[in-house]
Amino acid sequence: MKALIPLISCGLLQIPGAWAGSLVVAVQTSSGRPLAGAVVTLHSVAGNDHPGVPVTAVMDQVNRAFVPDLLVIPVGSTVAFPNSDSVSHQIYSFSAAHKFQLPLYRGKPYPPVNFDQAGLVTLGCNIHDSMLAYVLVTDAPYFGRTDATGSWSVEAPQGTYQVSVWQPRMEETLQKEVTIDADRSNLTVRLTRALKPAPLEGRHSWDAY
Amino acid sequence: MSAAVLLALAAALASPEWGSPEWAGPEWASPEWEIDLDARLVSSDGQRSVTNGGLGTLRYDDTQSGLRLGRARFALSEAFGQVWSLHVDASAWGDHDKNPVDLTEAYLQFRPYPFAGSYRFRLKTGAFYAPISLENRSAGWESPYTLSYSAVNTWLGQELRTIGAEGQIDWLGTRTGHAFDVALTGGVFGWNDPAGVVIASRGFSLSDRQTTLFGRVGANNSSPLPPMTLFGEIDHRAGFYAGLEGRYYDRVVIRVLHYDNRGDPEAFDAATNNYAWDTHFNSVGVRAESGTGWTAIAQYLDGETAIEPNDGYLNWPFRARFALISKELGHHRLSVRYDSFAVDSESEYGGGPQHGHAWTAAYVFEPSAHWRFTLEWLRVANDNENRPVYVGLPSRATETQVQLAVRFALGPLAR
Repeated sequence: MKALIPLISCGLLQIPGAWAGSLVVAVQTSSGRPLAGAVVTLHSVAGNDHPGVPVTAVMDQVNRAFVPDLLVIPVGSTVAFPNSDSVSHQIYSFSAAHKFQLPLYRGKPYPPVNFDQAGLVTLGCNIHDSMLAYVLVTDAPYFGRTDATGSWSVEAPQGTYQVSVWQPRMEETLQKEVTIDADRSNLTVRLTRALKPAPLEGRHSWDAY
Repeated sequence: MSAAVLLALAAALASPEWGSPEWAGPEWASPEWEIDLDARLVSSDGQRSVTNGGLGTLRYDDTQSGLRLGRARFALSEAFGQVWSLHVDASAWGDHDKNPVDLTEAYLQFRPYPFAGSYRFRLKTGAFYAPISLENRSAGWESPYTLSYSAVNTWLGQELRTIGAEGQIDWLGTRTGHAFDVALTGGVFGWNDPAGVVIASRGFSLSDRQTTLFGRVGANNSSPLPPMTLFGEIDHRAGFYAGLEGRYYDRVVIRVLHYDNRGDPEAFDAATNNYAWDTHFNSVGVRAESGTGWTAIAQYLDGETAIEPNDGYLNWPFRARFALISKELGHHRLSVRYDSFAVDSESEYGGGPQHGHAWTAAYVFEPSAHWRFTLEWLRVANDNENRPVYVGLPSRATETQVQLAVRFALGPLAR
């Protein structure tokens, strides 16, 4: 059965009703507003789960910004970093989960980068300090991001899970335990602290000085 | 230091692996460039401008209404390997300067990758602007808010340039989960001895004409006041500045800087008819931006310049400040700025003091990376005791200038 779980997590298989359940996670800011784009991961407390199936993802560089500026990928996935800008960029990461650098380039000169260790990887461009992006490499079997209403739902085997909620504008990762049973389970996670300010948009042409 | 140590240091600096844990893939670098053409339709009732040899406080005077060249600019950035790059900025201002096209900046930059996760060292050497202005943040040291710079920054563009070296240490806290970035800057320079002569003899003005490295303040035929050469070494003493910058995410920037050109006020250069002006000042500025398109900038500068000719010590304390509020809505930006400035004269023969203030309002429409349209209204009211003495006019003047600018930018660097 273990071997099926990665396939289930990708939605490739339907979970037999007898032992499946559903969970809806609602994430709210400290002031109670729905928080879109928050990353939610589920780990089985029993510790017997498997990471999701590795994927190949793309993080582009457009108008001196990473697009998208947040990727959530299963451990073992690869990410291509093309540069579609007319100016060169460098990419560096000093995060423990994956230290790497892509020296000054335009276009697509490099093969995709493999992320084989779970953790948060913070990316920057040494030429343009305002460029900032994140790759969250997860070993969780179930993960996703909240929609515009601040919620994310998943079908998973019944059991007890640790739910982690994180977003770049959050000061810390919030963790809660939840039990998924035959009924639909609901979990509301409310942030304890105010969000950090969102990056300003449209400033890519400035700050030459 | 022995030659071997120097060689080892040079090799370490030249190596792309400085501060980098891992390297892979091909190198890629090619020159990046930009050409800008900025044309103006000007209406001005200003007195004879400083460029034309007068004591007006606007870039264009009442003889210059009509179609004008705001600036023609060519910029080039060339990377050498991974951490070295060359930056050259050349401009034509269309006002009969000594050279029709000349450099405003030209420098070599060493910018290795951050080390220990969040520290980075930067080194610039050549000719460039010190990190003071919070208004002149666009390429070519232009302001994205108005055409004419504030009095503070007009003066920096006229008289100051670091011709030397500047080192900066960044602590990139926001890369490691903190709310702040901090940068410490130190500069050592020469060829800035005349800095102060414009403020003492002409006073503050509001303009976007930057003095070029080999050019002058004032056109070839300017009169009655002759053109002034700004970037020269007269006393053979290096100047310095030290500054601190703090950033709260990308929302708030605070800069403080102390500048001292360490001029020897007795030194005189007969060839350019210039003293080594002993100029020092403190500068502080803050810029705050909201997520809803609002920007607020304030800068304050307070200093003194002095010379010591045969007949005694002459000094001019000066100070200038401004506050700017700007609101961006899509491709549109509306800005209003208030300036206030003063030059005192504490000596009998030192020329007259100047006090004034200005209001600027500008609307910018930037539909694409290539086109920018700006409409600016600027009114300066000031009292300059030099006017009756040098140009035979009453000391008080109120000048108004309206400009409509169309700028077209081309090239990989154009944004």
